[in-house]
Amino acid sequence: MKERTMWEQIADSLRSRSLWMLHYCTGCGAMELPPTMTARFDMERFGVAPMATPRQADIMLITGYLNTKTLRRVIYTYEQMADPKYVIGFGSCTINGGIYFDSYSTINRLDYYIPVDVYIAGCMPRPEAILEAFNYLMEKIRKGEADGWKRYKENYEWYKQNQIRSLGEVYVHDEFHE
Amino acid sequence: MTNSMSKAVEVLKSFNPFVEEIDDREIKISLSNDKVISALDVLKSIGFSHLSLITCVDWIDDNQFELVYILFNWEDGGKILVSTRIDRSNPKFITVKELWPVARFYEREIHEFFGIEFEGNDDMRPLFLELWDEKPPMRKDFDPSKYSKEKFPDRKYEKDVIKEAKIFRGEING
Ligand code: SF4
Repeated sequence: MKERTMWEQIADSLRSRSLWMLHYCTGCGAMELPPTMTARFDMERFGVAPMATPRQADIMLITGYLNTKTLRRVIYTYEQMADPKYVIGFGSCTINGGIYFDSYSTINRLDYYIPVDVYIAGCMPRPEAILEAFNYLMEKIRKGEADGWKRYKENYEWYKQNQIRSLGEVYVHDEFHE
Repeated sequence: MTNSMSKAVEVLKSFNPFVEEIDDREIKISLSNDKVISALDVLKSIGFSHLSLITCVDWIDDNQFELVYILFNWEDGGKILVSTRIDRSNPKFITVKELWPVARFYEREIHEFFGIEFEGNDDMRPLFLELWDEKPPMRKDFDPSKYSKEKFPDRKYEKDVIKEAKIFRGEING
């Protein structure tokens, strides 16, 4: 890893204190987010708040399984986000396919297509685990280890090639929007 | 059986159905496939006006597909499953989109997942799968785990016995 300049260190430490999260909720784990966000567990006390659009978000939280259709949208979304951006893979489906490991349409491993900074194991992980993951991610950002977005640029060819291998084509053709 | 269901069984007598009672609000009526459309028409006219679903079962050992039309009656909550079997090697049936326009989408779905053609319904574009390149995935002779292995690489695991032993003894946190 490259040494960070002093300014980068300061920037990283400030960044880690205010994170905006885009939650990509197509998996069943999305159920755990309302209590995490709201009064019961209240993730805002850690400085993490939900955001509705990719262009203004720092974290992308992927809650569970992705099939080929949603993976295309995730790649779109991820590429729209501004640097620096971080990805959290939530649930065992993002790690190794979970209970859908042999499905014809769901992917088995998220970090093969986009870089993942933190994984949360479990099916489904509890809100405490999500908060733990946020804290761990902040720690990593402060240390300068959360560099998924840099890896994506450096290994862009590799990621693209994997995406094409599984998806055929990343471009979204949609009968309702064409 | 609810009133509407007994009435339906009564009316359909001439179609020579095989009636199975599933529970007190649900019956299954099996018909030969030339009678299905007229039976559905009759059922629609006596109150089973809601088509909840069209679905399909692959009976690969009998070389048949079973098409199931699930109808619902809003007056007393009766539910009828109208079922028929068609040949698996030349899977073709007639559309019911004239009776229920929503059937267009169910038929597209069945075409996509089982490969059944519906005569009269020309719109057979893929509905859910994008860029699908294999045989229809809900057929019993399609092997999803083989497909998944080829297409979606898996994570490799190496067994680390020493680490596991340490976790087991509580020295490190797994
Ligand atoms: S990990 Fe479990 S809870 Fe999460 S999406 Fe997969 S199956 Fe659902």
